[in-house]
Amino acid sequence: MQFSNKGGSIARLFRLAGRTSWPYVLLLPTVALLFAFTLYPLLQGLWMSMFRRGLVVVPQVPESIPTFVGLNNYVQLLADKDFVTSLLRTVLFVVVAVPLQLIASLSLALLLAPQTRFNAVARTIVFFPSMISGLIIGVIWAWLFARNSGLVNYGLSLFGLPAVPWLEQDQLAQAAVVVAWVWGGAGFNMMILIAGLTAIPKDLYEAAAVDGTSRWRTFTRITLPLLEPSIVVVVVLGVIGAFQVYEIVVSLTTGGPGRATVFLVQNIYDTAFKRPDQAGLAAAQSGVLFVILMVLTILQLRVAKRR
Amino acid sequence: MRYLPSPGRVVAIAVVLILFVLPPLWLLLSALKPQAEIFQWPPSLWPEHFTLENFQKTISRANFSAYFLNSAIVSVSSALLSVAMSVMAGYALAKFRFKGDTVIFLLIMSAVMVPLQIVLIPVFLVLRDLGLLNTLWGLIIAPAATPTGVFLMRQYITGIPDNLLEAARIDGTPEWRILLRIIVPLALPAIGTLLAFNLVWRWNDYLWPFLIINQQEQWTVQLAIANSIGRFSINWPRLLSMTVLSILPMLVIFIALQKTLMNGLMAGAAKE
Repeated sequence: MQFSNKGGSIARLFRLAGRTSWPYVLLLPTVALLFAFTLYPLLQGLWMSMFRRGLVVVPQVPESIPTFVGLNNYVQLLADKDFVTSLLRTVLFVVVAVPLQLIASLSLALLLAPQTRFNAVARTIVFFPSMISGLIIGVIWAWLFARNSGLVNYGLSLFGLPAVPWLEQDQLAQAAVVVAWVWGGAGFNMMILIAGLTAIPKDLYEAAAVDGTSRWRTFTRITLPLLEPSIVVVVVLGVIGAFQVYEIVVSLTTGGPGRATVFLVQNIYDTAFKRPDQAGLAAAQSGVLFVILMVLTILQLRVAKRR
Repeated sequence: MRYLPSPGRVVAIAVVLILFVLPPLWLLLSALKPQAEIFQWPPSLWPEHFTLENFQKTISRANFSAYFLNSAIVSVSSALLSVAMSVMAGYALAKFRFKGDTVIFLLIMSAVMVPLQIVLIPVFLVLRDLGLLNTLWGLIIAPAATPTGVFLMRQYITGIPDNLLEAARIDGTPEWRILLRIIVPLALPAIGTLLAFNLVWRWNDYLWPFLIINQQEQWTVQLAIANSIGRFSINWPRLLSMTVLSILPMLVIFIALQKTLMNGLMAGAAKE
């Protein structure tokens, strides 16, 4: 046999040891980086959330030196008006934007699911916003919503309507963020839903047609129930993403007017950088967001497993 | 049977196309107008005077080519590093049974629950301690390990027949050669998909550079765009042209690889 004359027993032993450690060697870079930039920071963050401390500890700034406060930061958050408002605002955003995005992407999916060449091109166009950053999507919509040069107000003026100060009033600015967010993510979700639609057996529809079932009934009795797993994926991914909404706001409203579009993530940074003793408080806010995201992710995994 | 859309459907598709073509097109057309025409009311739907003036100013005065180069260096290097790491880790998890394999797999996958948004503050401290602040190395290394990438490669490599690997081992092929000469060539389709995804993710990164880069010479495109947005005033001609330029590489990648990117999503990869 070939390997018997490849070398002595020491070399073979060496190679055997090499083979057992090989998978660990292969995994080392990934595990090391994930540890350094994800898992360790997560634990460090949870630990930080039990201290009153500065972002950077400077001996000359006494407030920045860590003092253990236990769960006091979390208690303090309950009375923190900025935090509570931004959390509720984020929840409201999730509750409004996610269903709207589901409706938009479901309509797009139903419209563009038939396999034609034209639809393939249309899908590509609708999908394209998924290729660009939230920051850029924000810029695109800031320009559309601009008060005195924007296309949206120009469209309104064609119908004799006055210019709307989209980004200058609280609710309008919040609505603008919702519109931009839904637009940016609709194509991605449409693709998930189209994959779900294509998996529904054709003969079910043929049977319904033979029975003379109305189109609405076909939709509610066949399409929707069989599409449920895809819908759940879209909703859960949407909720997870919407809880972290931030980038799109940076370029669309910078959190304004006032603090009307400051969501949870931005509030965390504001807290950390505003005063030299609030890094622990900011870490506690991150802890709250982490728990929310963890629950949602586990929910998603369980749904995925059920499929 | 040939599919014929009903008139209602045709109208609906037309509306959809307008809704999705018009916003980016309006950005492009506006960027091609001279400064005065950009703010003219009512706006000219089609530029009355086409000009590249805004682009020239952005490239020459705003130092944009340097930011563009930074973004290109970072995206390409980080994408290559990430793909290499994902192939290695995915191969280990797909084709080896070893002590702690399940635990390591779950540990890697659990990282999807921890987006950068929620660890930003401690990550900042780690980057500082590792001396990665204000370096492009930080932008290349820090985001390179992705659970999505490892998962994608593991799924794909699992499908490669074991007997190919065993035959090579019996021939005495060293392990690193098996990886480079058998696994990598056979996994090329998945490697291509993952590379494309990584290029898009890294080009679009905003939070990492926001965290790591403080000096203007090292700005990436996204950082330059974010920094040109003042709270009270915006230099629109510059911002519009910068935005158009920042989209171009993604447009090229998308046109070249749209099937890969759109179907790759179906394979279970999520938007990062």
